[in-house]
Amino acid sequence: MSKMSKEMIHLLGNYGHIGFTFVAAIFIGMGGGIYLDQKVFDDRTTPWFTFIGLAFGIAAGFKSLFDIIKQQNKEFENQDKDKD
Amino acid sequence: MEHPILFISIILEKLGLPIPHGPVGHGLIEQLCAPYMTYTWFTMIFLVVVGKLTLGNLEMVPGKGQNFWEILIGGMDDFFVENMGRELTDKLFPMIATFALYIAVANLIGLIPGFMSPTSSINTTLALTLIVWVTHHIIGIRANGLAYVKHFLGPMPVLIPLMLPIELISNFARLLSLSIRLFGNIMAKETLLGILFMLAGAYFAPLPIMVLGVLVSLVQAMVFVLLTVVYFTQSNEHAH
Repeated sequence: MSKMSKEMIHLLGNYGHIGFTFVAAIFIGMGGGIYLDQKVFDDRTTPWFTFIGLAFGIAAGFKSLFDIIKQQNKEFENQDKDKD
Repeated sequence: MEHPILFISIILEKLGLPIPHGPVGHGLIEQLCAPYMTYTWFTMIFLVVVGKLTLGNLEMVPGKGQNFWEILIGGMDDFFVENMGRELTDKLFPMIATFALYIAVANLIGLIPGFMSPTSSINTTLALTLIVWVTHHIIGIRANGLAYVKHFLGPMPVLIPLMLPIELISNFARLLSLSIRLFGNIMAKETLLGILFMLAGAYFAPLPIMVLGVLVSLVQAMVFVLLTVVYFTQSNEHAH
């Protein structure tokens, strides 16, 4: 496999899942909040845990975005070291 | 939508076995005869038989079949070593390579009329993802012991109440994103092909989508394997 297409696949693998990961994090966070509100506390706390879960979900989304970028940077640095 | 013609289901129906009409059946036998199950078995049999036929007797000077597998397995081995290191690769190579071959074949099989991709059912992809997810936690615990918890606690003790939910949510998001991406891509391909065949199959309308389908199938198999490798590496290394 040529160098170019190998790098292409690597980048696709690393960046191709940003969208899905971001959305999945928000879904999990908000789903957890809704579950806490409706099932655990029987609607007594209704909007609060949903919003807290949503906030944590968005934060988790940004955190995984940050991780992906950090990891990619590390790989680039390794590649530069190999070239030198 | 009109149901696609699946030849294994037709054969099983002729044999008198119950074929579910919805996506998943009710009884045990009906669930075992669901199309995604039968085509999973078909993929497994295909891989085993082809492997047996081409690698039946290993030779020092490889022939055509053995050459193909040597390049494929050697390439995968190099790729894993580059990303995970020698030690982890030796431990986990059989599992990840099997995933790569299985997902690639299972994706591509759906391009042939009369077949369907087992990976276009959420059950298959979720099962694969669960295996990867549980394994990466086991690797983390085996490599770091109790210190594996530090992966979820963030950089500073003060930030633990904030970071713990965030880390947990992003960890569970892996489960969702890994399974739904593979499922979504392959199901979209299958559905699009089905609709185009129904509308204008006689005028070769599905042909461009089939070309894209080959690309999507291979890329998705690669992405799944790459992410598996990344997760294993991350849980294997020490917490920052």
